[in-house]
Amino acid sequence: MSKDVKPITIAAEIQIPYVYSVGLAGSKFLTELKDNGKFIATKCKKCGYTMMPPRIFCEECFIDDVEWVEVSDKGTIQTFAVSYFSTDGKRIKDPWMLAIVKLDKSDGGLMVRLDEVKPDDVKIGMKVEAVLKPKDKRIGSILDIQYFRPVKG
Amino acid sequence: MSRKVAIVGVGMQKFARRKEETLNEMIFEVTKDALDNAGLTRDAINAVVLGNAVDAFCGIHNSAKLAVEGCGGLMKPMMMNSTSGSTAVSLPILGYTHVASGLYDVVMVIAYEKMSENLSPQAVFNTVYDEVYIKPMGLNVPLQCGLEARRYLYKYGLTEVQMAKVSVKNRGNALSNPYAQMPMKITVGDVLNSPYISWPVKLLDTSPVTDGARAIIFASEDVAREITDDPIWVRGVGRGANSCYFIGRRLDDLGRLDYAYLAAKQAYDMAGIKNPRAEIDYAELYDPFTYKEMQHCEAFGLCEEGGAGRMIDEGISLKEGKLPVNASGGLQGEGNPIAAGMSRLCWCYKMIKREAGACQVPKEVNTAIANGWGGMYQYSAAMIIGRD
Repeated sequence: MSKDVKPITIAAEIQIPYVYSVGLAGSKFLTELKDNGKFIATKCKKCGYTMMPPRIFCEECFIDDVEWVEVSDKGTIQTFAVSYFSTDGKRIKDPWMLAIVKLDKSDGGLMVRLDEVKPDDVKIGMKVEAVLKPKDKRIGSILDIQYFRPVKG
Repeated sequence: MSRKVAIVGVGMQKFARRKEETLNEMIFEVTKDALDNAGLTRDAINAVVLGNAVDAFCGIHNSAKLAVEGCGGLMKPMMMNSTSGSTAVSLPILGYTHVASGLYDVVMVIAYEKMSENLSPQAVFNTVYDEVYIKPMGLNVPLQCGLEARRYLYKYGLTEVQMAKVSVKNRGNALSNPYAQMPMKITVGDVLNSPYISWPVKLLDTSPVTDGARAIIFASEDVAREITDDPIWVRGVGRGANSCYFIGRRLDDLGRLDYAYLAAKQAYDMAGIKNPRAEIDYAELYDPFTYKEMQHCEAFGLCEEGGAGRMIDEGISLKEGKLPVNASGGLQGEGNPIAAGMSRLCWCYKMIKREAGACQVPKEVNTAIANGWGGMYQYSAAMIIGRD
């Protein structure tokens, strides 16, 4: 079959609104963060695995015998990335940073924005702490955490 | 006990940033090419397995249904499979199991991706993230690879220069590949001077957006021996999956692909391979970013853990090296139509058959490995093929 025809294309767009479930564990975690400014995780009563983000079951023991425990709002940077592009790929002037932070007293962590620190000063292994939005601005979203910053001193 | 299974043909086509064929037309081309390569007709095919990584690229959900005719599947058993980027090898594993089980004698496997159909691949990638913990943070692919690559270099003391050498190797190898989208003669300096995507990953450490497809025909031992004197057997397969909560895995480190080490162990145990560095002659490893080839060299035992920098420094993985990797150009040089990274396995077959044309490595190749990688640093799939 020859390929000498001028191709015709069709312009289209998919626009579909969604309503995502945050789930049982996520709803409790985000409610505690919103109401009391605390980070809570689920801990497996059998093996002691303290899950952050929290899950309603232990993925290793495969049981749902888990309890809620408070973990720290401080943690350690496992890795981080600096970007001069917005999420949708547009070039921006001031870089922004994401980090994976292992939260103290848990076996897991969260993806967080970093602030109050220059990209050149961030290091893997650095201790950081959460800065939450003021209570009246919190809505029960992971974005109730404004960012993490280096622990002073 | 499962049956012996051989690969008896592969179907290729040129990869491109934009192909004007429909999925059905694009897939017909590789299906026909695979049949011709095997010396078979459509009648010989008992069942078809096909798939892509992300339907949102082409904008039509369960897109395989568009290609029933093109894949030769009209009025035949057909099913779709997808495991993100590792579809590249989970698809052929599914085709293999169709035959190994005894259910079918000849199975056509097709991997495709039409990434150009949408006008913002980055926006499509943003639909693959968890909505509760990840997507609100604004993660995108550049940051995702930056997070992983930084941890990997940190963990093993590897360098941007070593990453750059992989780009130079693969883009250079692609100059010999007639199907390649991004053949380039470049230097380490060119890579290091290309703009950062997110440290340590630069533009020339990445692979392009690509349209394309590949096909592979699997056959039972009886059929394979009828149509060829030189069947290339599936010797081992392996897969592994890890949690989507990559931010909160207990035991592992983002710089080490535990799930790929697991896939490697399964595949090598099945193949009876004890020492991959001595027993694997050739590898095509999934390299959407340069550091991914390095991680995969380690996970699949082609060098020691943390030794991928030395491997490229010493030229071991060059086309003329002791253990060539991606002499086709890999995803870096040939293009990266995610699932159609099954091309890695096609090139393993061509190398063993000495049908790789200008890409052919000088050494004799009897045993080769290909892998795929995908999800949120989650999935690995590998297949080892070769002569008895």
